[in-house]
Amino acid sequence: MRSEKIFQILLFFFIFTTLTIVVGIVVSLVTTSSPIFIKYGLDFVFSSVWNPVKESYGILPALLGTLITSTIAISIATPLAISLAVFSSEIIPQRFRSLMNSISDLMASLPSVIYGLWGLYVLAPILHNYLMLPLHNYLGFIPLFSTKPTPTNLFTAGVLLAIMIVPFASSIIREAYTAVPYNLKEAAYSIGMTKWETVRTMLGYIKSAIFAGLFLALGRAMGETMAVAMVVGNILNIPKSLFDMGYTISSLIANQFPNAEAYEYMVPALYGGATILFLIGLVINLVGLYFIKKVMIKG
Amino acid sequence: MNKRKLKEKIMLGTISLLATISAIPIFMIIINIYSEGLRYVSLSFLIDFPPPPIGGKAGGIGPALAGSLILMSLALMIGGCIGFFTGLYLSEFSHTKLAQYTQLFLQIMVEFPTIIIGLFAYSILVVPLKRFNAFAGAFALSVVIIPYIALNVREAYKSIPYSLKEAALSLGISHPKAYLRVLLSAARRGVLTALLIGMAKAAGETAPLLFTILGTSFSYFEGLDKPINAIPLLIYNFALSPYERWHQVAWGASAILLSIILAIFVISRIVVKEVKI
Amino acid sequence: MTWAIEVNNLNVWYGDKHILKNISFKIPKNIIFAIMGPSGCGKSTLLRAMNRLLELNPHARVEGQVRIDGIDVYNDNVDITWVRRQFGMVFQIPNPFPHLSIYENVALGPKLNGLVKNKSQLDELVKQALEQAYLWDEVKNDLKKPASMLSGGQQQRLCIARALALKPKIVLMDEPTANLDPVASSKIEELMLELKENYTIIIVTHNPQQAARISDYVAFLYMGELIEIGETSMVFTRPRHELTEKYVVGRMG
Repeated sequence: MRSEKIFQILLFFFIFTTLTIVVGIVVSLVTTSSPIFIKYGLDFVFSSVWNPVKESYGILPALLGTLITSTIAISIATPLAISLAVFSSEIIPQRFRSLMNSISDLMASLPSVIYGLWGLYVLAPILHNYLMLPLHNYLGFIPLFSTKPTPTNLFTAGVLLAIMIVPFASSIIREAYTAVPYNLKEAAYSIGMTKWETVRTMLGYIKSAIFAGLFLALGRAMGETMAVAMVVGNILNIPKSLFDMGYTISSLIANQFPNAEAYEYMVPALYGGATILFLIGLVINLVGLYFIKKVMIKG
Repeated sequence: MNKRKLKEKIMLGTISLLATISAIPIFMIIINIYSEGLRYVSLSFLIDFPPPPIGGKAGGIGPALAGSLILMSLALMIGGCIGFFTGLYLSEFSHTKLAQYTQLFLQIMVEFPTIIIGLFAYSILVVPLKRFNAFAGAFALSVVIIPYIALNVREAYKSIPYSLKEAALSLGISHPKAYLRVLLSAARRGVLTALLIGMAKAAGETAPLLFTILGTSFSYFEGLDKPINAIPLLIYNFALSPYERWHQVAWGASAILLSIILAIFVISRIVVKEVKI
Repeated sequence: MTWAIEVNNLNVWYGDKHILKNISFKIPKNIIFAIMGPSGCGKSTLLRAMNRLLELNPHARVEGQVRIDGIDVYNDNVDITWVRRQFGMVFQIPNPFPHLSIYENVALGPKLNGLVKNKSQLDELVKQALEQAYLWDEVKNDLKKPASMLSGGQQQRLCIARALALKPKIVLMDEPTANLDPVASSKIEELMLELKENYTIIIVTHNPQQAARISDYVAFLYMGELIEIGETSMVFTRPRHELTEKYVVGRMG
């Protein structure tokens, strides 16, 4: 009887430790960042001036950078992730499936600093020479491509993020796809559907899972720090085109924090950035989890 | 009918093409990292101190490698313990409100930007001690891996058939014995996978270390209250430095880190594949 | 006369559903006692209320007494693991621990409960339990092999051996033959008749023929109520209650 009691206390102890940590993270974010919101209010979010010497902090350029890079990433990743999921569960011959899934899972588990190093020295030059320069030269009149690109910029960061989130999103979609009841597939073929038409029907059936995968992947893209910090350019400007160098909130924190203690309000400002990032991420992930829940109820 | 056939061909072709495109980077990354990095790797690379930016010996990543191993084991000990018991609670008390809310929190925490966890560890362990320290880094890594381990351990215990749980308790043994001596071995594959996922995370995460361990490589481990270096942090710092020599060390270090991740990955595949019962 | 088990005013709820209503009975030792009734009548719940396995279900609530050797298993001072050791339990679906060897499946209970002092004692106990379960001759050369390699009937006898290794007073069997073929079933029934020399056996079955074949005492449970209980020969030849009569002659599923 005693060991039962001790065991229960032990379990409670650990679960409270976990809860304390979660709550502690939120509390430390809010309390440390509160001075910046008290001093600047919404100006902190909508101002584009970041000048620590004058103690004026506006997060808008970094916020835009986060939104732009993650939008690029999710736009590229959506067709790729869906295709990868369909390909590995429907098109590729059975015996290669587990290999294909292993490759995709391996991709999802590579450290972001490795993506960063590769993005900086391999991907960025390739994109620069073969995609961004031609786009700028021939289509430079379109505002999106108007800046003369350097290898590291918002676009490079967006593409690298897309590469990183595809396997993650695709694994969620794949799981739902393979869980579709077999008789549904049989029914589709039995009324004379072609393979593509069947695939399209199944994709419609797992719509919620696709949304879930994409939203959770979007959340990851927004929070990703290291890889982005290595290829985004790290310049605080309101971006005028996709090829501008920029910052994201997380890369701003990564780069600026080491010298933040030297200024009065920089630490609160960076925690403020983290708070905003946290709130955006929270909403996006809750939406993602909502869709996952829908999938589970259906399945 | 012909138009329909054509559409079929085009759509399936597009899907295959896009899928191939999305798989290309992983091969490029592995090939690039090893072809660039392996040439700098030798036994002394694993032991030596990093080289000066210009001149001197070729150098290595000794302190960072040692630091990474220390941080990984500490994180696995702390995060593994908390995560395991939290996961066990989530599985066996899943009807309680406490478990349901904790699970939701953890599902959100898994997706937390890890840099926020770095800031948290900075606030509670670096600021009060007034010094960057190894323990703060290990703590931050533990926090990163807790939700992964807890949620996976929960899955592992949930997947044990109810009849086996009844059988275990019908033997007249206490709950701790049932969960840790009998059912743990039934769930061992899932639990081991959870720990391996945690290990891979702890090996590769960089953002939680940025503001916690400083990343100096002047000496080997000096104590948990002193700064320390880790491989991913070294890669980040050296890759962004202006020195060619340090870029080379970053590539070499990446080859080592990639090998560690690949090794963990292969082991976890073997664990999962182990003869199904 | 001391009774093997006495149940007094036992009530069980799942949430607000009243599953067992005011059940009371007592049965003597060294007999086979069958609890029969249509599915959903509460038979399995009654069995699990005896060894308090019901507490695995967080929504279950129990009131009343279950006494073995005069001790109420629901008394606050009684250790739940002691209670479960007084009963060996065999389940509807054979559930040996599939990841453990045949030997380990039987040895686990005595080992974890500290019933043996050394390896040779344990070996002896395992052998004895397997012999009692009529399984020894079939597996004595394969003790190290995983339990999952056995056939369904063998797995069920392994589960019986696992239960016997704890040296229980009472063996609870929850439809032990429901998932077995006729040959394997008859082997289990034969085994039960042998076992009652040393144990009291309580078996739940939805098959009245089985109850008639093997039991000494029988109870009929319907919608959570104990309709009738008595010596098997009496209940089957001269049932006192109309519902029982309908059930035993097979006019009610």
